[in-house]
Formats: sequence, C-alpha cells, structure tokens
Amino acid sequence: MSQTWQRDVPVFNVPIWTRPFKLFCGLGALGLLLVVYREIVGLGPASGMNDAYAWGIWKTFNTMVLTGLGSGAFAIGIAAWLFRREKLHVVMRTAILTSFLAYAFGLAMLGVDVGRPWNFYWFFFPWHWNLHSPLLEVAVCMTVYASLPLFLENIPAVLEYFYDQRKDLRPTIEKLEKVIVKGFPWVVSLAYVLPAMHQSSLGALMLLGGTRVSPLWQTPFLPLLYVWAAAFLGFAFVTATLLFSGVIWNRPLDLDVLAELNSITTWLIGVWLVFRLVDLTVRGQIVAAFHADLNAFLFWLEIAFLVYAVWILRDAGSRRSPRAMFYGAALATIGGMLYRFDPTTTAFQPKPGAIYFPSVIELLISIGFMSIGIAIFIFAAKVLAILPAPSALWHTMEEYKSRQARVRPFGYKTGAGQYATGD
Amino acid sequence: MAITRRDLLHKMTTGGAAVAAGGAVSTVALAGIAHAEEEGKLPPQAVGMLYDATRCIGCKTCVVACTQANGLTPDTRRDPLHQAPADLNNRTKTIIKLYKPVDGKEEFSYVKQQCMHCIDPACAAACMFGGLKKDVKTGIVSWNGKLCVGCRYCEIACPYNVPKFRWEGFNPEIVKCEFCKDRLAKGLEPACTAVCPKKAVIFGPRQQLLDEAKRRIADNPGKYYQERVFGEHEAGGTQVLYLSHVPFDKIGLPTLGDESIPHKYLKWQKRLYSYLIVPVGLYAALVGTIRKNWKSHEEHMQHEEKTTGLRAQL
Amino acid sequence: MSEAKQQLTIAEHLEASGVSRRNFVQLCGMLMVSAPVGLALTKGNSVTKMAEMIGKTKRPSVIWLHFQDCTGCTETLLRTSTPDAASLILDVISLDYHETLMAASGAQAEAALQHAVEENAGKFVLVVEGSIPLKDDGAYLELGGKRGVNVLREVASKAAAVISIGSCASWGGVPSSDPNPTGAVGTDSVITDKPVVNLPGCPPNPYNLLAVVLEYVTMGKLPALDEYGRPKFAYDRVIHENCPRRAHFDAGRFAASFGDEGHRKGWCLYKLGCKGPVTHAACATRHFNETPGVWPIGIGAPCVGCTEKGVVWKLATFETVPIHQVTPPDNYPPVYASNGAFKVGAATLVGAVAGAVAGAAVMGSKRLPEPAAAAASGSEAPKSGSKTPLGD
Repeated sequence: MSQTWQRDVPVFNVPIWTRPFKLFCGLGALGLLLVVYREIVGLGPASGMNDAYAWGIWKTFNTMVLTGLGSGAFAIGIAAWLFRREKLHVVMRTAILTSFLAYAFGLAMLGVDVGRPWNFYWFFFPWHWNLHSPLLEVAVCMTVYASLPLFLENIPAVLEYFYDQRKDLRPTIEKLEKVIVKGFPWVVSLAYVLPAMHQSSLGALMLLGGTRVSPLWQTPFLPLLYVWAAAFLGFAFVTATLLFSGVIWNRPLDLDVLAELNSITTWLIGVWLVFRLVDLTVRGQIVAAFHADLNAFLFWLEIAFLVYAVWILRDAGSRRSPRAMFYGAALATIGGMLYRFDPTTTAFQPKPGAIYFPSVIELLISIGFMSIGIAIFIFAAKVLAILPAPSALWHTMEEYKSRQARVRPFGYKTGAGQYATGD
Repeated sequence: MAITRRDLLHKMTTGGAAVAAGGAVSTVALAGIAHAEEEGKLPPQAVGMLYDATRCIGCKTCVVACTQANGLTPDTRRDPLHQAPADLNNRTKTIIKLYKPVDGKEEFSYVKQQCMHCIDPACAAACMFGGLKKDVKTGIVSWNGKLCVGCRYCEIACPYNVPKFRWEGFNPEIVKCEFCKDRLAKGLEPACTAVCPKKAVIFGPRQQLLDEAKRRIADNPGKYYQERVFGEHEAGGTQVLYLSHVPFDKIGLPTLGDESIPHKYLKWQKRLYSYLIVPVGLYAALVGTIRKNWKSHEEHMQHEEKTTGLRAQL
Repeated sequence: MSEAKQQLTIAEHLEASGVSRRNFVQLCGMLMVSAPVGLALTKGNSVTKMAEMIGKTKRPSVIWLHFQDCTGCTETLLRTSTPDAASLILDVISLDYHETLMAASGAQAEAALQHAVEENAGKFVLVVEGSIPLKDDGAYLELGGKRGVNVLREVASKAAAVISIGSCASWGGVPSSDPNPTGAVGTDSVITDKPVVNLPGCPPNPYNLLAVVLEYVTMGKLPALDEYGRPKFAYDRVIHENCPRRAHFDAGRFAASFGDEGHRKGWCLYKLGCKGPVTHAACATRHFNETPGVWPIGIGAPCVGCTEKGVVWKLATFETVPIHQVTPPDNYPPVYASNGAFKVGAATLVGAVAGAVAGAAVMGSKRLPEPAAAAASGSEAPKSGSKTPLGD
C-alpha cells in the first residue's frame, strides 16, 4: 500500500478550474476588494482594532501564526540538510512552496495592516533602523528571507517546468541550474539562519507587553519557545498538507517518509512541552494554570492538543496509519497555532475592561489572503512538480499528456485555414 | 536511513566546534558590549511635570487648554455638544478622569493622564524607524511623522497605554502629549500647567519637582499614598511625577518594577544580535556543514537519475 | 439748548441740576459693572476715581438721528427701572437733537438739527438709530423731503464720532431681513470714511451706549472694536460663555418643551433653539432694566440672537445652533474606559470558517486508509471507489 516517494510530480489528472479552486479565487478577490476599502476608510472602520488592542488578527494571526505554519522550509530543511535525513529531500519542494506562500501573504498582510505604508522606504536606509526594535528585526529579516533564499529555493521547480515546455530554452536553463548548484549551500544556509532570527523575534514582540501578558505565556524564553514552535508547526503543517493533498488528488502515500516526519515532529513537540512546563514551574507560575479563567482554559487546551498529538503520532508510523498521522499532524498544528496566537491577544490584557474581536471585514481580508495562498498552491501543484510521488507516476504523467494530445477532438487551425489533427 | 556512528561523531564534532566557536565569540561580544548596555539615563535638562491629585479639583481647564494649544479639534464624537472623550485618543492628549470608589468609604480622586515621558521609554525602543524619539536634552518623547510607518507597536509597548492612533482616514498619526515643546521653545510653560487654577500640575526641571514632591510628603505625613512619588523609579523612572492620596493602581498607574522595560525585556535580543556576530557565526558553520552534505546528496541524486531515467530534481 | 449749558463740565451741570452726587456715583458704579474690562475709563479705576474723571469732562453733545427704526433703542434708554437713571443719563450727556424726545416738530425740528450740527460741528457724537434704505437711491425714506441716506451723510460728515445703536443701525436689523425690499443697510455701509461703533441688540443695553460715549469724551478715544465694529468690552463673548444656566448645559440638563419640568426648573434652553452659543452680547451678565434676571434666558425664553446678523430673523426660532467652542461636560470618564466589543456577526463567521475547515479535514481524513482495512482487503489499492492513475 505504501509507495516510495522518489521525485516530485505535478497533479496532472485534475483540471485546474475546479469548484474549490474557484471558491478560493473568489474569496481572494473579495479580500483584495476589501483591502481597497480599508485603504480608503482607514483601519478603524475596516477592522475591530481599538486603542487598547492596537494589533488585530492581520498581525497576530496572518503574520505571527501563519509564518509559523510556513516554517516547513526552515525546519524540514534543517533536518534534511544538516542532519542528513535523505528521505526528507523529496518533500522539500512542498515545504518550500507552502513556506513561500505563507511568508509572502504574511508580509503582504503586514503591508495592509500598517497605517503609513509609504514610509516603508526607510527599510532601505539601515542607518535609520532602530536596532532595538524586535518588530524591525522581523520586518527586515522576513522580507530578506522571503525575497531572497526562500524565493530562490522555489526557482528549480519553475525552471524544470520550462525545461519540459520549451526545448529552445534548455541550454540557458542548464546554465542556470549549474549556478544554482554552485550557490546552493550559501543560499540554503541563509534560509536557516534568517528564520531562526525572525521566528524568535516574533516571540520577542510580546516581551514588551510585560506583565500585561499573562504569566502563563510571558517568559524571557518566549523567543526560544516561538522558534521551536515554528519548527514543529512547519513539520506538522507540511505533513498535514501532504496527507490532505494526497487524499484529495489520489496520490500514493509513502508511509516511511511520513513516519519519519512524524517521529521528528513528536520529538520536537516533546522537547518543547517539557521546556514549557519546566519554565512555567521554575518561574513559579504553574499555579496560574489552575485558576478558573479563560487563560487557564486556553493553556490547557494548547497542552491538550499537543499532548494528544504526540500520543497519536508516537505509533502512527509503526501502525502504518495515514489517518492517525493526519489527525496527529492536524492536532499539532492547531496546538502550535494556539500557542503562538494566545500571548498576542487572548492572554494580553493591556488594561481592564478592554476586549478585541475582529470585525467581519477584517476576517474576510484575512481569509482572502489565506485563500489566495491556497489557490496559488493548488495551481502550482497542478502545473509544477511540487508534490512527491513514485517515479512511476512521472511516466504515467507523460503517457497521460501524450494521450491527451492525441485524442483532442479538434486540432489547431493551420495557416491554410484547414483543421489538422494532433498527430 | 539510520545514522551511523561515524555520521553521529562527525555531526557532533562539527556541531560542537560550531557551538564552541560561537560561544567563544559570544562571550567576547558580551564582555565587549556589556558596558554599552546601561539603562537610559536622565537627560541633562530634563523637564518634568508634577501632578498632585490631592490638589486637583477636576475643572478640566487643562484639557481645554491642551486642545487649543495643540491645535486639536475638540472630541465631540461621543457627545456632539461637549468635548467628552472617554480616554486619551487621537484628539485628546490629556484627560481628567475620576476614580470613584464603589463603596463610598474610600476617598475619591481625580487623575490627569498624559504621556509619562519615561526616562527609558518602551515606545521609543519599539519603534521600527525611530518615529518616536526621546530628546537628548530635555527628555521629551515626540513623534516624527516622516519616520512612522503606523505599525502601532508603541501602543502595545507602552505600559501606560498612552500613544493613540488615528483609526479613521488614510493618513493616520500617533497622537500623544509632547510637553508643548513649541511653547517651551518660546519660553512658555506647557499649556496645562500654565492654566491650572490650583497649581495641581506644575512644570519645572524634573529634579526640582522630585525634591518638591518629597518635601510635600515630608511636610504632610500620612497624606500621600505610601509616602512616595510615582515615577521616581517606576520602569526606570518617568519625567511626569504623581502624588496621590489613593492607591496608584486605582488612578490607572500600573504596578511596575524599577527596571526599565527595554532593559528588562530586550537585553538578550541586544546581546544575541550585537554586531551580528552570532548570526554570522551560525551562518558560517551552516555553510561548512551543508557543503559537505551536498556532496553526498549529489551522489544520491545521480544514482536516482540512472535508475529512473529521469532528470534529477534540485 | 443754550450754549452756556454746553460749556459746563458734567459735574457742574449735575450740581446745577440738583442731581445728588450719590446718584451720580451710583451711575458710575453701573457703568463699572457694564464694562469692567475693555474700557480705559473703568480699567484700574475705582468708582470714585471714575466719577471724578467723568465729572471733570465737558458735557458731550449728542445728536440722535432716526431712520428705519421702531424707536425701541430710544425706549431702552428711557425704560430704566429707576427713573433717576434715565434722567441722569440725559443729564450727563447733552442730547441736542432727538426727534422722539424733543418738543419741536416740523420746520422747527429741522432748524434745530441744522443749528445743533453747526454749533457743535466736529465735536458732537452722532448716534444713529434704525437702518438706512439704499434701494432706488434711498427713495424709501425721506426726512423733511430729504433722502435719509443724504441726511446721514451730511450730519455724519460733521460728527466727531458715529455710534450705531441697535441692530438696525448696526447691520440692517428687521428691515433688512429677507427679501430686504428697501435695500436696508447699517450705518457703516453708508459712512465709510470714519470709524463707526456698532452697538447691536434689539434692543441694545443702554449702558453700553453710555459707556462708549463717556469713554470717548473722557479718554478721547473709542473703545477697542472687533471686526464688526462692536466694542469688545460688551461683544467679545457669546452669551453661552457667561450664561447663568451654563452649568445645566454642561451637565446635560435641558428643557425639552415649554412648560415641562426642566423648563420650570430653569434648565438650559439649548434644545428649545437658544441662540446663545452664536450670539455675541453681554446680556448674560448685564441683564436689563437694572433688575437681575430680567433678560430673555433669565425668564425662560431662549435667546433669539438679536445682535447677530445671520442669526436673528434668519435662523428658525427653534433651530439649534452649533457649539463653536466645545468644552468638557460636567461628568468624568472612569479610570479604565472599555474598548472593543464582542461581535456576534464576526463570531458567526469565525465559527463558520472553522467549521468548514474542520469539516474538510475530517472528510479528507475519512478517505485516508486505516491499516486494519488495508490488511483486510490485502494489498489492493485502499481508496474507496477512486480510480488512481497508478496500476498498483
């Protein structure tokens, strides 16, 4: 039942314009329209942000949480390249694409969220940077990361597509690929250092909340916990993506690779949980977990999701159960997302009597940007070789494509105005 | 694929070497920069305000004067007939609030709220491009629209919830008390201190005001809460000082330690990123390791190409 | 009017007339109350000092012309509640021509005007009551065969100072209200070569007039005027700023209709259309007829804005006006304001989206094989009814 993944193959037997794809495009278009509205009327009418909660889901969720999900390139990359887990190379393209989309739309969301975006040009004047500011570190580092190493990591898939489609470009492509091979270690190392920096700086952001962030989350180790959470979120999310896309597009699953992903995920979460609970105890704040309030409830919810995820994943591999793997990965993703979201909003009480809830427009813009990302992923997975599969599938794909060309009912018009068949 | 002992040893030594190198470098860096890591210092000509809640009668003349002196439109959003903001906001740089104890047994108190002009401000540390800056001479924290991107991190960072963002329209600003620095430049007092009929809020050099506050405490034992001035040490100290007869937290002044917020929460960030030594060190170690691993991956890829007959995928 | 009388100083005249010094000092006291600031006459001076200064001044000659008026401004001068004050005013100033008050009429009256103007040329104070029609060359008002506008120009050319009393003379008043069929204007639209002091009001307060006249003759100059020619000591603030019912406004206590509880309790009349916030006048502090509380708002009638062009006879009586200088109310926000609110619509959307995602995940996971099923069906392709492109 389990097939070995040997290379990445496009999803070739499914049309691009399916109903779900149209839905995501529609939601994305709606989101973009509402962005225009937000730019005209300002942040107040377009969102639920207020003077107490100056940050809404655009920053706290789309940027701070979703880039955690997009840490697959970082985390799986380190496992594959630093720790030489050869099996994981075949899922790297999926990880890299999801990461790129999460970062691109996380940064785009940041651009929509700031009130005076025209002053972003100071980005290019390093002597005006306030090096103390964690947010500056996040903005600079994320932008450099997404536009350089992460972007470049996605190029090989595109080049491969053009290699297949355009025989005339092959010499150029081969030259470019040589350049890529040469520069690979340099680009890829940057792709691991930069996320380590900004994922931890994302954690440092809420340090300045001080005692207004509940002690169940506030700790000097918040940056470390955030970057470690990014690591297991990257793993879990890519695992879930692989399983979900495998099942909806009828792709064979490689349970060995998935088991490897699971075991690393389990290990990462385990270490993280231990560290989190030890940190809480050492700071003497474990008592707060037993108050009867929202913070304690959310804390235990996080822990529950993650512990249950570990429980499911620990033997999903040996049991060879894709369903268990999916559940485990999904639960781990939710738990990690909760962890990264809570200190920014639910556990952050800037002053008594203040609450925040996103408005409908705010939610629709957030959903819109996520939808665009998903739509692009779907499109890319169908056009480019992103998702892993056995090599046999590649052969099947080529057969399928040539069959398509042969059986086209109407060929193309020749110059003489005659209809020709595809032969 | 199982890891061989050799691989493990190899990894550990490379990793260990990298860590050791990084550690050595970091220690040097730490030692070198430790001296530069002091908390913010009180500027030489630090101005100050002293607000004595026991003298305030809640007349709100300061609110009107502040609005006029700063060219703000009175906030009639809640009540079209009156200037009645509920809190500091983008049209209100100072406000008078009332603490009314619920049971009626405790004393009530008015409180004037505005920017505290902290000695080591969290807002200025948070601001990405230095849009909020503390003046090096007077210590006034002011906003520069040319550098502000509207990220509102200052609103999150300020422990007193002072900076306020204009939420409507497409050209928003951050609005907060700036000590009437234009009036100060002309040799005048800030508008609020100039009009206060009871001299509940007064202006002067911070040190002088601190001494005056302590004198009042000494002359009136038992009158002032905890016999101390709020802002002397709180979060590194502020230039706007408060005296009160009711607990400070009842009039909206949070309980803060003596360490300034940037110093307390960001010192590890500063240390780790100082001169980018740690990141560059990590990068170097990674490049070395990945170059080695790339070679074995290349062999693997070539093997795949031969067996499947398909081009290797980068 | 004999020349001899006009040569006397005010003090000498009062003594000769048998007016008691006490009454005179009382009058000075009233003036002091009228104009505590803005007048050189009253600034920093005690009442006695003022009385002394005024006493030394030569009794000023005043010529009073009527145009399109109702004589209300004259009445306001006379209808003081203490009769002595009225006659006192007439004793302090030498009213050399006044159509309503003088005994003469007809040709005698015209001769009197001629005589008064020539005798006091360059020294008299001209008081103008009523607006001046300009339409059709001023045909709509003739005084003894002469067009009103020409009379004004003639007399004003010889006057030392020109004072418009009342809204009609100040800016046109009642006759100038829409559609202004006679082209009625105020004095300063006709007399443009010398300063005109406007004392609008319908009627205006007589003490304003007295203060301006005495300031001019005693100190030699007119008081500081605003951009509409109104003396600042009386017209620089709006009624709203000094209104005795302001505390009710600040506390949000309004009379909602005439005769209701709030009205009877003397609450603010803003919602009944009081034009106090846009009307410059001193009625709030000075009231009328020397009787406290005798002024429109004081008796429960919302101010109609009788001094202001563009307010009275322009805005509807019960139309509320904007507050230009907004001030804080008589209440206080709590120390911690509440921010934000839970939104049901948004929460529903979140629930819907989360539900959709969870549903999709569950449906997808159901299509993932379980090892027991795979083992049971052997090594077959595990999918339920799906055609995989793969053979195995």
